[in-house]
Order: sequence, then structure tokens, then C-alpha cells
Amino acid sequence: MPENTQTTTINKVCVIGAGTMGAGIAAQVANAGIPVLLLDIVPKDGDNRNAVAEGAVAKMLKTQPAPFMSKRAAKLVETGNIEDHLDKVAECDWIVEAIIERLDIKQDLYSKLEEVRTAGTAVSSNTSTIPLAQLTDGRSDAFKNDFLITHFFNPPRYMRLIEIVAGPHSDAGTVEMVKEFVDRKLGKTVVDAEDSPGFIANRVGTFWIQQAVNSAFDLGISVEEADEIGGRPMGVPKTGLFGLIDLIGIDLMPHLMKSLTSTLPKDDWYQQIARSEPMIEAMIEEGYTGRKGKGGFYRINREGGGKVKEAKDLKSGEYRAAARPGLVRGPAAKGDLKSLISMKGKVGDYAWSVLGPTLSYAASIVPEATATVVGVDDAMKLGYNWKRGPFEMIDAIGAAHLVERLKESDYPVPPILEQVGDKTFYRVEDGQLQYFGTDGQYHDVERPEGVLLLEDVKRTSEPVSKNGSAALWDIGDGVVALEFTGKMNALDEQVMKLIQQAVPLVKSDYKALVVYNEGSNFSAGANLGLAMFAMNIAAWSEVEKSVRGGQAAYKALKYAPFPVVSAPFGMALGGGCEICLNSDAIQAHAETYIGLVETGVGIIPGWGGCGEMISRWQENPRHPNGPMPAVSKSFEIISTATVVKSAAEAKEYGFLHHKDGITMNRDRLLYDAKQKALSMVDGYEAPEKPEYRLPGPSGAAALKLAVESFHNRGMATEHDVTVAEELAYVLTGGNTDPIDVLSEADMLNLEVEAFMRLVRNPKSQLRVEHMLETGKPLRN
Amino acid sequence: MSDVVIAGYVRSPFHLAYKGALAKVRPDDLAANTIRGLIEKTGVKAEDIEDIVMGCAFPEGEQGFNIARLVGLLADLPISVGGMTVNRFCGSSMSSIHYAAGQIAMGAGEVFICAGVEGMSRVPMTGFNPMPNPELAKSSAAYLGMGDTAENVAKKYDISREEQEAFAVRSQQKAGKALENDAFADEIIPFTLPDGTVVDKDGTPRPTTTAEDLAGLKLAFDENGTVTAGTSSPLTDGASAVLVCSEEYAKANGLTVMARIKSMAISGCAPEIMGIGPVGASQKALERAGLSIDDMDVIELNEAFSSQSIATIRDLGANEDKVNLDGGAIAIGHPLGATGARIVGKAASLLQREGGKYSLSTQCIGGGQGIATILEKA
Repeated sequence: MPENTQTTTINKVCVIGAGTMGAGIAAQVANAGIPVLLLDIVPKDGDNRNAVAEGAVAKMLKTQPAPFMSKRAAKLVETGNIEDHLDKVAECDWIVEAIIERLDIKQDLYSKLEEVRTAGTAVSSNTSTIPLAQLTDGRSDAFKNDFLITHFFNPPRYMRLIEIVAGPHSDAGTVEMVKEFVDRKLGKTVVDAEDSPGFIANRVGTFWIQQAVNSAFDLGISVEEADEIGGRPMGVPKTGLFGLIDLIGIDLMPHLMKSLTSTLPKDDWYQQIARSEPMIEAMIEEGYTGRKGKGGFYRINREGGGKVKEAKDLKSGEYRAAARPGLVRGPAAKGDLKSLISMKGKVGDYAWSVLGPTLSYAASIVPEATATVVGVDDAMKLGYNWKRGPFEMIDAIGAAHLVERLKESDYPVPPILEQVGDKTFYRVEDGQLQYFGTDGQYHDVERPEGVLLLEDVKRTSEPVSKNGSAALWDIGDGVVALEFTGKMNALDEQVMKLIQQAVPLVKSDYKALVVYNEGSNFSAGANLGLAMFAMNIAAWSEVEKSVRGGQAAYKALKYAPFPVVSAPFGMALGGGCEICLNSDAIQAHAETYIGLVETGVGIIPGWGGCGEMISRWQENPRHPNGPMPAVSKSFEIISTATVVKSAAEAKEYGFLHHKDGITMNRDRLLYDAKQKALSMVDGYEAPEKPEYRLPGPSGAAALKLAVESFHNRGMATEHDVTVAEELAYVLTGGNTDPIDVLSEADMLNLEVEAFMRLVRNPKSQLRVEHMLETGKPLRN
Repeated sequence: MSDVVIAGYVRSPFHLAYKGALAKVRPDDLAANTIRGLIEKTGVKAEDIEDIVMGCAFPEGEQGFNIARLVGLLADLPISVGGMTVNRFCGSSMSSIHYAAGQIAMGAGEVFICAGVEGMSRVPMTGFNPMPNPELAKSSAAYLGMGDTAENVAKKYDISREEQEAFAVRSQQKAGKALENDAFADEIIPFTLPDGTVVDKDGTPRPTTTAEDLAGLKLAFDENGTVTAGTSSPLTDGASAVLVCSEEYAKANGLTVMARIKSMAISGCAPEIMGIGPVGASQKALERAGLSIDDMDVIELNEAFSSQSIATIRDLGANEDKVNLDGGAIAIGHPLGATGARIVGKAASLLQREGGKYSLSTQCIGGGQGIATILEKA
């Protein structure tokens, strides 16, 4: 279960309302290892009075991306109904209401909760539209004291934002307890919001979506053009705007509009831009509600057995083959917003007509919706997956320039933009990141206790050492962080070189090393481009050198005389996984997708992954003994290129050891990893070298039989069989005998041997090439 | 020399491996409970028992350490009762009956418990440490997966997927009818789980299975083949036990003599079509008994797969109406080591119920063998 540096007093949670949000919140509580009671209404039909809540859990077990991090987590959800089981909320320390957005129904539920809940337990609503003051109207003072709004984003497991609204009567201790819990246990970043309509993210997000749709219709911009201009260049999700609407559901748009227009003041800018397009209304009417419906602004047409991506023509309303307009080039394509909005023609026009008003609107809600610009930026980055927050974008454009353009276009200029003048919203002063406050002064961006970010370290210091692919940073208390800096954090000889330099350096001047970075993923593995290049010119000795070089570097880390802790998050694949396996310990973010995926590109793990995987399974006391079980299990996992879908699952598959830690909040990962490393410093001894007693050719014969059976079933291609047999050769110890003992060096040699045979195989080379070109494995 | 008789037959409930009610039950506990049930049901004097001969196809892990001896201790049998584990894969517990019959005939004991067990949830098929001889694995089909052999038989005998599915549906329907008539109540020894739940019925049969259901299943072993999970016996947890003794002893001690062992046989066949093993073994046993297949009133044929069952029936010239009256392993399940004793015990009890004279119990064995036992109603 996830480790945390501080305990809270919330030991059981009740979620009322088993819709997408309520059920998802309950799942995330369970993911944190906390028991949760999930209640919903008694269905009108049927004998099972818990059917609604039970059905929600059953559905979540089949949903992808999965709301649960493991099957074990699902068992922590107890289901029930609000007629028979409401009294059970007395056992819960926090009650989350996530029922239908209707004030009367919510108020009715709260009045019932008043009777059954234990005084002092927190009660919160997941409302996204109803003001707190209205929700608690008529409730006792005690209830008001314990009440707050906790606004999660969909899906609750994956979206990191939570907006918290405390009312004038909310007890500070209760609010603090909930904040602590959602931060440390549920892994959310808390943004304090005021009790204003739509809070922060949805208010800006809805405006942005509306403005982008309006502008596309008004300027005659196609769906693909809009997404190309408004997607990557602006740093919003790569789906682009229309792709995003398809994802969240087109039918949700009128609901969002209705709720905001009914609650926002009449003079709010959103009221002027809110409009519905007849074409979109017709789409909803006909069931074209996006990915969940018959199609949306995009659809995949499978007629005639093919698979054609089509886009909606906003003029005719018909589907046609999706185009790739290729309009945005130069600096604008790389995210230079000033260039983007200055481009001549429809690219610049559209970009400006979306960005200008959206940034102006975002700037106008401080401090009405949240006290600081940081709150708005965090909300948009974590709640809408924007790469940069609105104020970060304004800084990139230049506030003064933006104001000029806004005035030219006759768009409103909010006071804070005037106030900042030709300064920026963020600055670094003595290495400290500061933001521009509504008081006209700069204030430090404060990190909560237990949050340590490499980006902050980088502001105050120079790397201890660095090269083109990696850097070493002093993160304090005698701990060094090894950061990968290449594209996609790919691993190459430079990384290995820096590791070899780090070992003597840390040994003489520091206490421990943490492998960590703040890219979008920990590492996607070895640099395949370099590998392909070497293969193309048949530089086999170079390839072998790089395999052996990686092995040597990873083993140098493993046997270094100081603790090494890897802190993976996101994807940790291939060599990215192997560095974790070779570390003394792992502190993983809960959302870690780790795996040895080499077989997908026709090779096998070559940097010690094979031996490390076997060791992990051999050490597992719950796994059977003998020469085969650990080998079979490792073979099963590696031959199928298994990538686990959470850190919890990584434990089940042996990528994580049971003593390895899991951090729920991404921002706390480095701190937790550092603490883990420091905790190992006293009396640290490097691990003893493992010895392997492996089955040899007899075991390989057994695995071969299994592979052939997969092949017969049509589940493994011819080349899968070739690769799997090489993997079997390594994992069973080559030509060893069960009574012989193999050393780690023997295992590494076997890896090199098999690896080198495979890279010379043209079919493996095709796989590498295909992966580089398409990002997907080739099944040849 | 005395005739050897079957004087009692019981089994545990059969449940699907991993997901069934017995998945968390140790096989030795399950077998011990079944054996206690046999002793109580038959009234045999425990101190007279010479040996427990226990069939088990993968005698390791919780089925290891000579499980037969341990089961005797678990069942509180007198210390004097021996225990021996026999492995002939699926033929294991039928072999334990053959062994006992031989011992009795030689005067090396009068009463034997011939049992079988397989906790397939607990010890995987192939065991925990499969380490085939690499050379033999290359040169022969000795280690070929059972599903692949079923495909080979289907091809060799030109048995269509539809024929296999029709056979499987009949097996399920026969088991369903037997359930309706409570025909298994007599043979099942209930097992009480630690939480107090009493498991007294099979979890395996799916009597409502239709040909359409089966037609929708994916091919299980060969993408171009015909065999599915629906035409294969399922992985099963279960135990069985038969009381084998001399006819003199049975009569002297007031035991119910169900049937006399008339003849027995083993016969090898090509490993890649192990499913036709019953043909050679049955022909041998019939010849030894001086009988023909038409003389058989009851035939218990283990249904490892539909394809091998159909091929066997065809080659033996057997009448399917006499085969597996209460359903076969496709419906009831196939806990490898336990099946042999089940189908001999079942044949003995069917002879009593149906009133025929002779029965044949026969099964196929991985690696390429068949085993057969002919009983004569006492």
C-alpha cells in the first residue's frame, strides 16, 4: 500500500452517488488502500437493492483506462444503498456527496446525513455548479462547520486537480484534514477556489471550448485545422479542441453551458459568447455524441473492412476523410505563442481569436475565482492537461504585447493585466520562483511540506555534472539526483558514461543517489534511433560495446557503496525499467507503467533485466521453489512485453519489490525517494552478488513447448517464436546444468550473446525500424 | 486364489480449478475427507486395510511427499495402514486399482483403498518445474500438449467441430439429467470449508449448454483447428476412492460386493494421438476377459476431449447409448489423478443400478497410453 510521510485521521470514506465521478472517487480512495463505502439509490426494478452501486464497481472493473490500480483495491469498496445503509456513514471520517446536480436532492440528502453521521466528520460535495452557500442553507452550524466542496476532475484516478472550496463557516482543521488526505493519499494537487460559479478550471475551460468552437464556425476553419492550430502549438492536449470534445462527450456541452449561464452574472463575458450551433445540436440529437456515441467531430469509418479517420465538415455537416492541413510551421509549431498569434492568414486569425479572449478571460477571474495566478495555472494544467497555464502563456507572449493586441481587437483588458504592465507574472529572484500578486507585489511560490521539485533545484544551482543526455543535481542532505535529459529521456552511452562518473563522485562527496526526472515519462528506454543507425552500418562491435557498457553502468550503480533509489513515474520501459531493477530500492509514483518491452522490437533485455527479473521471482516467498517457477514467470512477463498499468500492479509482477514504496502524489515523488535513500545510508552495504541455479536446456525445452502452443493458437508469430526462444535460452541459463551455479556475469554474457544474435536478424531490424517510424510494435 | 471385488465407491464434489468452491482446499485434506467417507460408508474395518494406493498425476507441492501416506495420517487411519502414490497421469488411480488387484491375487493383502486426487488449482498441470528431456522433446511428441493431441485425433479421424460439440452437449445433458435424479448424491462425500460452508454438489456441470453456445467459443489450441474449451474436460479439483478387496474378505465382513474385476490392461500408443489410447487397452482387456465390446452393458469412457471420445467409440465399435450414462469428464470434470478410480467405481455402481452384467472403464493417458478395466456384476 502507498507509503506516506504523514498520517491523516481519515481511515474510512463514504462516497454517496455511484455515477462516473462518485464511483471513480471511491476507486481512487481504494487505490490508496483506504476502505470506502459506496452508496447509491435503490433501483426501481429488480430484487437487488444495491444493484446501482454494485453495478458501478463491476463496470469499473471493465473500464479502460482502469479506475482501479489493482484488483485488490476493488475489494476495499463496500457497496450499499442510501435507504438501508446510510447509518453506516457513522463509521466514516469523510463523506463525499457526488449525486445528481440538483439542489433539492442534495439538500434532502444532507438533512438525512445530519441524523446519521458522527459529529466532526468531514462532509463534502463534488458539485461543479452549485454554490456552497446554497448547499448548506438550512443546515445546523455543526454541519456547516464540517462542510466543504471537493471538486474532482474526470477521471478521478488520472486527473491530478482537485478544487477545494471552504465556506465562511468551514472549520479550518476539517478542511486541512481533507486537504492533507486528498494530497497525500489520493495524490491530488489542491487548488483553493472561491465559492464562485464553475470554480476555476471549468470556468476557463468552458469559455475556451466555446470560444474555439465559435471561432471555427465564424472564421470558416475546419475541424482538423482548428485542432492543428489549437492543439500542440498552444500546448493543450494533442487531441486538439474538437478531439477533446469528442472525448468528453459532445452532449455535455449544452449542460456545461446551461449551468454556467444560469449561475454567472449577466455581465460576465461568457454570457455573450455562449451559443449553440444548430449543427452540433443535430449531432447530439442523432447520437453523434463523440467517442462514446456513433462518432463525433471525428470518427473511424470501418465500412468495407477498412479503417478511415474521418472529420465532420462544419459547413455541410457531412463526414469526409480527415485531412492533415500542415498549416503551422516554424517557431509557432514548436510552441512560440507570440509567433503563432502573429501569423498572417487563418492560422494567426484563428489562434488569436481563441487565445486572446481565453487568456483575457482567465486573467479576469483572479481573485474572484481564486486568489492567485498560480491557482489558475495549476487548475488548467492539472484539470485540462494544458502544458502551460494561462499566465505562463501570457508571460510567453508578453503581457504588454497581449494588452496591446487585446485593445486592438476591442477585447476587455482585465485589471491584473494592466497592473502587471511590462513585467511578467512569474519571475525568479535569488533562485526562488515568484508570482505576481493582486497587491502588485511578487510572492514566493510556496511548495507544501514534503514536496521537492527538480525544477526548483535547477533554479538555484548548477548541475554537479552533466553531458548531452544526463545530468547530476545536488538535491540537498548529501543526495544526488541523476536526471535523464535526452529526447523522451532515451538512454544512450552518454547516460552510461555519466553513471560511471557519478559512482566515484557520490562515493567521495555524497551519501546517496536518486534516479529521477521531471519529463512526461521516466524513460522510454534505450535510444533506438542510435541502435538502428549502428545496425544499418553493421557496426556490430559498437552495438555490443553499448550493450556491455549499459550492463557495466547499471551494475556499477547496483554495487556502488551507497544507496541508489530509482523513482519512476509514467512509462519506465526497457532500459528505463532495468535501471529500476538494478537499484537498491524503488520509490514509484502510483501511476507508473513499467515493463521490459524489448521483445516488441525483436530483441531481449540486455542491461541486466533478465537476471534481475529472475532474482526477484526467486526471492518471492509466495512463489514455488525449484529451477523453473521464477524462470517461467519471468519468461511469461518478458516474452509478452508486459507493461503494468500501475505501481500496485508492478508489485504483483515483481517489477517492484514488496518493500519498495509508492507515492500517490507526483509532486512528492522526489522527496519520498530522497527520504528512502537517506533511510538506507546508515550501515549501508552493497548487495551480495546473486547466484543462479537454472534449469538449462531442459527448462528451455519446456518453454519452447509453451511457445509452440501459443504459435499454434495464432497468438505468436514466427519471429515471436524466434525471439522467445532466445529469451528462453538466456532465462534458463543457456547450456547450464541444474546442479551448476551461474554468476551474474554469466547471465550478462548470455544476455549479450542472445541480444547480438537477434540484432543481426533482419526481422528484428524491421521491428526496430517500424517502432521508430510508427511508435508501434511490428508483429512480423 | 480369491476374486477381487469393488466394495465401495465415493468421490468428493468436483469443482472448476481456480474459480470453484474447492480452489482453496489442499488436495491432501480433500482426499483424506473422501477416504474417511469411504470407510464410514462401507463400514470396512480400518485396521484391516493393507495400503492406501493413491493416484496423482503431479505429485508435488501439496500433493508431494508421498501424499498417500500423509492422507492416511490425516484421515486418522491406524498407523499400520500403508500408503503409496502412483503416477500414470490420467490413468493413475485406475492403476492403483490394478495394483491392488494384483496384490490381492498374490495374497499380499486383502483390503486396499484405491484412491486418486488432483488439486489442479494448487499444482499446475505440468507441475511447478517442467524440465523435459530436450532431445526427446525434439524427436518425439512425448511432451505435446493434450489439446494438441486432441486436434491431431480430430484431424486423423476427420471429426468436425460440430460433431465434437454435439457430443459435448450430450455429455452435459446426461449430467444434467443425473443431477435432476440426484444420481450423484450416493457417491459424493461432502466437504466442509473452514468457514463452515458445506460443499456437497458438483460445481462443474453446465446442463443448459447448447450447440449454439459452444459454436461461439474460441478455438483453444490451434487457430485452424476444431477443439474448444467446450469440447475439452475442464481443469478440476477433486478426489475419489474405491474399496478393493478379496471377495472372501468382503463376504466374511458383510461388505457390499458391487462388482468383480474381470480383466485389466495397459497399452501404449503414439504420443501425438494419445486420445486413442483406450482402443488398444480395451481390446486387450476384452480379449483377456474373453468378451466382446457388445457384451458391455455399461461403458465409462473418460472424456478428456470430445474428439478422442468419438474416435474411441468409433474404433471400438461401441454403442454410445451405453457410454457415460451420467455424463463424462467434459461435464463432470477431470481431476487428473482422481478420474480413473471414479470411472471404475462409477461403472460398478451403474452395473448395480442398471442391472447389466459387464462394464468397461477406460481412459487415455498423456504421453501415449490407454488403460482399461472390465468388471462383472457380482
